[in-house]
Amino acid sequence: MKCLQAEEHFSAHFEDTLDYQTLQRFEEHLAACEACQQEYTRFQESVKAVRQLPQIEPSPDFMPTLLQRLAEEQREIGGVSEIIGTSWKRLQDVFRRPRWAFSGIVALLLIAVVGGYLYQDGFLSDRDAQPTVVITPASEESQVGPSPVELPVDVRRSVPDVNRFLPRGVTSTSQQPMQRHYILKQVSYTNASTRGGL
Amino acid sequence: MRDLDDELMERYRAGDENAFTLLVRRHQQPLVNFIARFINDRDGAEDLAQETFIRIFKASRRYKPGRAQFKTWMYHIATNLCKNELRNRGRRDRYRVDNVVDGDGDGGDSEQIDLIESAPADVAFQPEVALERKELHDAIQTAIAELPEQYRVPLVLRDLQGLSYDEISEVLELRSGTTKSRINRARLMLKDKLQSFVSCS
Repeated sequence: MKCLQAEEHFSAHFEDTLDYQTLQRFEEHLAACEACQQEYTRFQESVKAVRQLPQIEPSPDFMPTLLQRLAEEQREIGGVSEIIGTSWKRLQDVFRRPRWAFSGIVALLLIAVVGGYLYQDGFLSDRDAQPTVVITPASEESQVGPSPVELPVDVRRSVPDVNRFLPRGVTSTSQQPMQRHYILKQVSYTNASTRGGL
Repeated sequence: MRDLDDELMERYRAGDENAFTLLVRRHQQPLVNFIARFINDRDGAEDLAQETFIRIFKASRRYKPGRAQFKTWMYHIATNLCKNELRNRGRRDRYRVDNVVDGDGDGGDSEQIDLIESAPADVAFQPEVALERKELHDAIQTAIAELPEQYRVPLVLRDLQGLSYDEISEVLELRSGTTKSRINRARLMLKDKLQSFVSCS
């Protein structure tokens, strides 16, 4: 056994937990190495000194203060203020750390960018909303005339292809891609049903 | 045999308020001692010990008797609170010695003390010996406070709180071998730091 290995066994020897073989090798080394003998003596003395440190007692105010704090906590439990307060404190704690604050900002930006992109793409709009076809008089092309009239999509069910067979004056609004997409699906469904013999 | 702490927790959950008070009375002294030695600040220790009990109070519904000992659960919560506290205080005043160690702190040459010889039973009646012991205690506390956190916590739990290696592993969520080697390493570091105080005659 070498000095460094012996040092690794100081605690185990001090607490008498070495197995028989290691104990023999340790004690053989110690008997032959004066430096390790001195180090081990110092080791034992310092551990004993640490263990002799006096215990620190709580002050007489400890229990009354704790009971008061507990009573306050108990009053707050179940209240909205407690939930908000804890969440806010945790959030503050998180954002007090620069690394987390940076990560949080990056995450918020990502959510904003992705959310904005999806919204623009119509991904987040309500697919179940009643689609409409906007029928406008021909005069709309010249941006003059009465306001467009909105009709339910059922009106268009018998028309096989919106893009090809829209009558004059009937247009789908190009600013509403989801609506146009929905109409195409409806028309396609009608065609398939017709082919199936319904 | 059933653990008294588990029984007190169950009684408290069943509505017995006194059971929680009794739990606090049983553990307040060791907890304050542990935290004070850990963060090296007595006043802060009381505050954190109270916070630990409040956390226990709030989490009492989730406590499962037998899954973990109450004592190790308590030290686990306290350790995390202490780590957060030290992190928040920052590096500058992390190792403050003004509350626990209240000596002159001049760090000058200290007289060597034979610890075994200088421990008479009537130490309180010998001012010069009492002073030497006070200096020694201050030096030990300072040396503990200077240890890296990963070595300081298991050392305090072992040599000042008297927890077993298994309990310390549970508190710190470490493997048994890691716990043992960290405690041995901490003691070796302390031995070197206290070299001027500890004779090897």
